[in-house]
Amino acid sequence: MADTDQTSTSNAGNVSGAALGATIEVDQKAREKYFTATQSQLIWTRFRSNRGAMIAGSVLIFLILLGVFAPFLSPYDPTIKGRNKEYQNGAPQIPKFCDHNGCSARPFLYTLERTRSIETNFRWVTEVNTEKRRYLELYVEGWEYKLFNWNINLPGKKLDFTIPGFTFNKHLFGAKEGSVHIFGTDSTGKDIFSRTLHAIYTSLAVGTLGVFISFVLALIIGGISGYFGGILDGFIQMFTDAVRTVPAIPLFMALAAFVPDTWSAEMRFFFISIILGLIGWPTLARRVRTHLLVERNQDYVLAAQLQGAGAGHVIRKHLLPSFTSYIIVDLVISFPYMVLSETALSFIGLGLKDPVNSLGVMLQNVTKADVLLNYQWYFIPVIFFIALVLAFVFVGDGLRDAADPYSSVKK
Amino acid sequence: MLQFTQFALTRALMAIFTLLLVSLIVFSLMEMVPGTCAERYLAFKNTQGQQISIDDIEAEERRLGLDKPFLQRWGNWVGNVFFRGEFGDSCILRLNINQLLGDKFLLSLGICLTSLIFAYLIAIPVGILSSASKSKWLNGSLRFVSYFGLAMPNFLLALMIMLFSTMVFGDTLSGLFSKEYRDAEWSIARVLDFLSHAWLPVFVLGWSATAFALQTVRALMLDESSKLYVTAAKARGLSGGKLLWRYPARHSLGPIINSLGFDLNRVFNELPIVAAILTLTEAGSLLLDSLARSNDQQLAGAIIFLLTASIVALNFITDIALAVVDPRVRRSVMGA
Repeated sequence: MADTDQTSTSNAGNVSGAALGATIEVDQKAREKYFTATQSQLIWTRFRSNRGAMIAGSVLIFLILLGVFAPFLSPYDPTIKGRNKEYQNGAPQIPKFCDHNGCSARPFLYTLERTRSIETNFRWVTEVNTEKRRYLELYVEGWEYKLFNWNINLPGKKLDFTIPGFTFNKHLFGAKEGSVHIFGTDSTGKDIFSRTLHAIYTSLAVGTLGVFISFVLALIIGGISGYFGGILDGFIQMFTDAVRTVPAIPLFMALAAFVPDTWSAEMRFFFISIILGLIGWPTLARRVRTHLLVERNQDYVLAAQLQGAGAGHVIRKHLLPSFTSYIIVDLVISFPYMVLSETALSFIGLGLKDPVNSLGVMLQNVTKADVLLNYQWYFIPVIFFIALVLAFVFVGDGLRDAADPYSSVKK
Repeated sequence: MLQFTQFALTRALMAIFTLLLVSLIVFSLMEMVPGTCAERYLAFKNTQGQQISIDDIEAEERRLGLDKPFLQRWGNWVGNVFFRGEFGDSCILRLNINQLLGDKFLLSLGICLTSLIFAYLIAIPVGILSSASKSKWLNGSLRFVSYFGLAMPNFLLALMIMLFSTMVFGDTLSGLFSKEYRDAEWSIARVLDFLSHAWLPVFVLGWSATAFALQTVRALMLDESSKLYVTAAKARGLSGGKLLWRYPARHSLGPIINSLGFDLNRVFNELPIVAAILTLTEAGSLLLDSLARSNDQQLAGAIIFLLTASIVALNFITDIALAVVDPRVRRSVMGA
């Protein structure tokens, strides 16, 4: 086919001049590229032409970066250590460039002064002094944080060890004197901006771990079911269907209630992720199984089997690569549901608890009428989370469309 | 007809088998909660001032049948549930579970089913319209709205509505009954009062169900609309609503009916959390209570089992309904 195309191109070039020949030449190149492209290149090309998914993708990357660099970006320690005793339930301090005294190229905040006098009935009152400016600075020193610092707790005291990692105390922005709470503070004086960034990180980590566990389970269960088929398949499918009919969140709640109050925040974190993973596998397992049922009768599988390859080898080396892209898409799609489940669980107090920051933890106290009426900035993190989930849904959807070979997108 | 009975019977058998499997899962979970019923009873007696010993615990275990092997206890539990509708007693509250649940479970099931109906009443016409329309603006905004429905968890929506109503009306809109009707007997006035409160949970629960349903209906309609039989119908001169209703819509009906069970599952997932926020007094928040406050495994197990049973029942009903409604399935099942 390529041969005939080439001859026709050169003929056209001879007959109607060099310009036309060149355009056809370009067209030809594009076509060749299309026919020789690998699967991932094709998916990327289709994905790129989907504007919504591309925007969502960049939002997603931005949010992931926010989460990953949370300690560097947040001016305060998100735990109780970083609380600001003098600014509890404080309103957001939004950096300004201009005010009645003129403009400055550098954003500034006003100074807060705590006073008490006979006018305030001798109670401490925070006042904003709009005449004194405090300028924001980049790369300031602040609370210490550690990267790559892990305490490994293995059973038995002797096996415990610590990887010290690196300690930093530089942060992206801050002020030399006074405080910078751009999203305000909560009832204990913790900085909501710092907490939000750390909460994004937590959500991403819970989601990743949960998705990973459910992915491994789905591969094993779906793989066995699809590859061997027959009675085993029937039995596993019945079991999967039964698990699928049990409503997950009530089940989560039943499982999360096992967690004793004495567990540390990290233990809780792993337990919740594992539960999320344990309950999330059936949908993916079904996809894997359906695909394997179709593929296992193909000739290349028979060829591998005739050469004496074992079941595990055939599944891993021959069958799995044939649908990696679909699996990745499914993983991205199932991610936001993990995040949402974790948020819901933490919100009702069965998931993560205070020293760990997650959206659910941050929203635990907002149902009080007091908060609803007076401290609406508690809801700022919600925007980030809706953005995170929306971005994941859009990207997942875009990827699904892009990975679908039947979707009608021109090269 | 014989074939239909056979079909219905196999479906029923499968449903019962699923229920058995679920009951096994639920029962093992109940067993996994640390502490047995006997220990709880005696711990209660201890708080009342009685001295208890190991022997007392063992005697109590024998009385409750806890010394028997796991499978036998499971068999007893399942037998009681299936044949007598009895879930036994709750260890913590020391009350009969059936009495505790009362009409609460039916109320919450009613709310969930209503919100499901609400979701499809909106999703089917809107989904069909959006699949037929060429307007980029309409489709884009619908897509965004339905994604937003997925991304905004129901409890956040409930919170936002409460925030709004406290700011505007000074009423938190929570609860299912007004004060004077809370413990009253069922009467017309109570039903009306219930309905005037129930719209909010129905709306909140229906919100993301609508988003999902909209996606499903739209995708199915788009799939079907590009098929040859639709082109053929167009060639015969059909167009507009008549074409949509008579051809692609009827074909899309099957998968939608099939997915109802999983939609109910999703609504059940949202129920406990929404119930907790809106302080509804039905099974959802009862579940939350039984789990969070006291590890009441009997009550929690009963509720999870009932929720799953209603999903299995709905799946069974939709299977049968599909066989009756869809001529393709009907023919293969009833051998016409």
